[in-house]
Amino acid sequence: MTLILAICVAVTFAVSIYLMTARELKSIAMGVFLLGHAANLSIIAMSRTPVRHEPQLLKGPPILNASFNPAQPMSQIVDPLPQALILTAIVIGFAVMAFLLSLLVITSRKTGTLSVEVLAREGVEE
Amino acid sequence: MNLSNLIILFIVIPMGTGVLGVLFKYQVGLMRVLGSLSLASTALLAVGLLIHLRSHETGILVTQMGAWPAPYGISVVFDSLSGLLLAASSLVALGCYVHSFSTVSAAAQARYFHPMVQLLMFGVNLAFLTGDLFNLFVSFEIMLMASYCLLTFGGTRLQMTQAYKYVLLNLVGSTIFVIGAGLVYGMTGTLNFADLARFVAERQALGEDLPTGFTALSIALLLVFGLKGAIFPLWFWLPDTYYTANVSIAGLFAGMLTKVGIYAIARTFPMIFAHGGSEATKVVMPILAISAAFTMFLGVLGAVSHHNIRRILAVHVISQVGYMVFGLALMTQIALAGCLFYMIQHMVVKSCLFLCCGIIERHTGTDDLDRSGGLLRRDWYLALVFFIAAMSLVGLPPLSGFFGKLVIIREGWDTRWWLSIFGLLTGALTLLSMLKIWSYCFWSPQAAAVERPAGESPPPGSMRPAYAGATLLVLVALFLGFGAQPVYEIAFRAGEQLADPRDYITAVLGPESLDHLAGRDLRSPAELAAAARREATP
Amino acid sequence: MTISSPVLRNSMRLILPLTLLYALFAMLKGHNEPGGGFIGGMIFATAVCTYRMSHGYAAQLRLLPIHPRILIFLGLGLALGTSAVPLLLGHPFLRSAVGEFHLPFTHHPFHYASAMAFDLGVMLVVVGVAVGMITQLSEELE
Repeated sequence: MTLILAICVAVTFAVSIYLMTARELKSIAMGVFLLGHAANLSIIAMSRTPVRHEPQLLKGPPILNASFNPAQPMSQIVDPLPQALILTAIVIGFAVMAFLLSLLVITSRKTGTLSVEVLAREGVEE
Repeated sequence: MNLSNLIILFIVIPMGTGVLGVLFKYQVGLMRVLGSLSLASTALLAVGLLIHLRSHETGILVTQMGAWPAPYGISVVFDSLSGLLLAASSLVALGCYVHSFSTVSAAAQARYFHPMVQLLMFGVNLAFLTGDLFNLFVSFEIMLMASYCLLTFGGTRLQMTQAYKYVLLNLVGSTIFVIGAGLVYGMTGTLNFADLARFVAERQALGEDLPTGFTALSIALLLVFGLKGAIFPLWFWLPDTYYTANVSIAGLFAGMLTKVGIYAIARTFPMIFAHGGSEATKVVMPILAISAAFTMFLGVLGAVSHHNIRRILAVHVISQVGYMVFGLALMTQIALAGCLFYMIQHMVVKSCLFLCCGIIERHTGTDDLDRSGGLLRRDWYLALVFFIAAMSLVGLPPLSGFFGKLVIIREGWDTRWWLSIFGLLTGALTLLSMLKIWSYCFWSPQAAAVERPAGESPPPGSMRPAYAGATLLVLVALFLGFGAQPVYEIAFRAGEQLADPRDYITAVLGPESLDHLAGRDLRSPAELAAAARREATP
Repeated sequence: MTISSPVLRNSMRLILPLTLLYALFAMLKGHNEPGGGFIGGMIFATAVCTYRMSHGYAAQLRLLPIHPRILIFLGLGLALGTSAVPLLLGHPFLRSAVGEFHLPFTHHPFHYASAMAFDLGVMLVVVGVAVGMITQLSEELE
């Protein structure tokens, strides 16, 4: 399972970096979104059973209370924290994506282009 | 009411005001009053808590969100470092916010300007208060999201051609931050700063190695924070970004954004990633020292070479960030205190200079040095404010910049004398670039008035708020200069808390969290050496 | 952007109520299982936006007659209010009250937490943001 995840992370990173080397803002934006997904995947790959968390402390959180079974071996419990991190990162990524897409729409309307070269040249001229 | 629950107000007040700003989108006058009240009240609260905590035993207030115990929940920590930065950032934001009433028209302010300013402050305050690495990421994102919106505020063509650089660069930085936070959790099983500090101090005290890859991880995080803080070689995004934004917003950014990156280094590196004699420390410290030298020196060279007020001021931000990194690179208690003092005085002074630049632009219609002049005769009050702020930036003795530079350079003289020489040289060149603005803008004879290009809207509103904002900041700068003693007392306490993490750990994790270390000294070797030197030279 | 397809138009009449119900279900079950305000809000917003695609903007306004800005305000206000109330009672921020009560004519006790109100706020914000964003962007394109 770790190997599959590792390959997925590697491929996603590679594709996103390839996209980011393009000269069009659209591709770069897609590359950045993919980079976020690759980061989230890599956090999933890192999550495992809670190492340092003693079982008696795990009874505390109400999220676990409903389905927490003390008889279940610790090795079968997945650490909820990385998933919480990823959820937060996804929500933030959603907002950033929305902003970036709107920015691209406005940029193309104001300047008539999304090519990085043209935009860079305009910035120098003004 | 429990005092520690109060510190969450730093987050609740800006967010509540921002929420009201969404509802009262078109009631600009009402929002101006509410927004100023919100910023003023957070500033007062921070100052009040700092004064109250001077007699407090540890000087650290902690609240656990939702009453979940640390390290499982989210801790919010108010110590001397956060307190000073919160007070300074709220005051700076208040000055810039009031200034914006005369540079941003009421029609433009009706386009979610007020919620965005409050959201920026929400993110900045959360960054200063949060007690764990992941929430630091979240607060960075909140702050950056607001800054993207404020940066493109107005939506001119020039802004649109420049905005994408800042946005994309920060997005990549944030992604590295997420991966770094995930790796920290994977290696140590915790994200809480206090728990991480305990983890590192424990390993060091018991003579065990840190996990493999910890060094690489700390370099990755240094990269992220360095990008936000505009440290050499990651500062290239800054001049263009500050150049295109509205001048009040540029002042706000110059005060806040880079400082949050520096704060993140100051919070995490002395206590966690560069704590003790670990492998990471041996790599991180030289990197910080070398980049401090380059940041200081190249930044000020850039400022000397430019011929445009806003660009000079923007590039100067980089040079001054170098002094802060200099303080961090020494990582002793006194150097950290000096770094903190320099940070807060720089926030105030730099924003004040940007606000002055806004008024100059209004007078002359341009920020090109060649086409402005004669302002001393036309506006002596502006000249006075600008002069005080510029000389504070340079660091002339009774003014605030002097005390910041003095402590850092004196502390660096023993261990890294070459950095101190760079610091002195940079100070001289800073004086040169400030005198350039002074002599072109204020002393030279009046240039021909610049015709406003056709189609550009006439500047909105009266200039009174602009003067009020600049005056507020210059008064704060004067207070930091003449009242450096009480501020430094708090700053030294902050340096102590950073160099010796014991108080922080016990405040967050509870008094028994360090019992098994049996009173071992948790200070890092650099700090121990400095303490020995201090005792040797009375 | 309106797609004039009779198949889509007619199937939306079935899909829309089901999706809205499912959104509520996803929001409510988020207390103990995967789900929650964010995902519920996303499903809700998807339903509204698909409805807009099939029936047009006027129909969307009839379905959701509140301005997205007001939705965002209500959601943020609800979330902030719920998390700030414990402050007034002397508890830490975001402290949730948990308990059980009996509904009439039911056998099982009903478990509640004040975090539900927070989740509802999140849902309102997400609906407001997503619908508002799609509306703005499609106005731009039309």
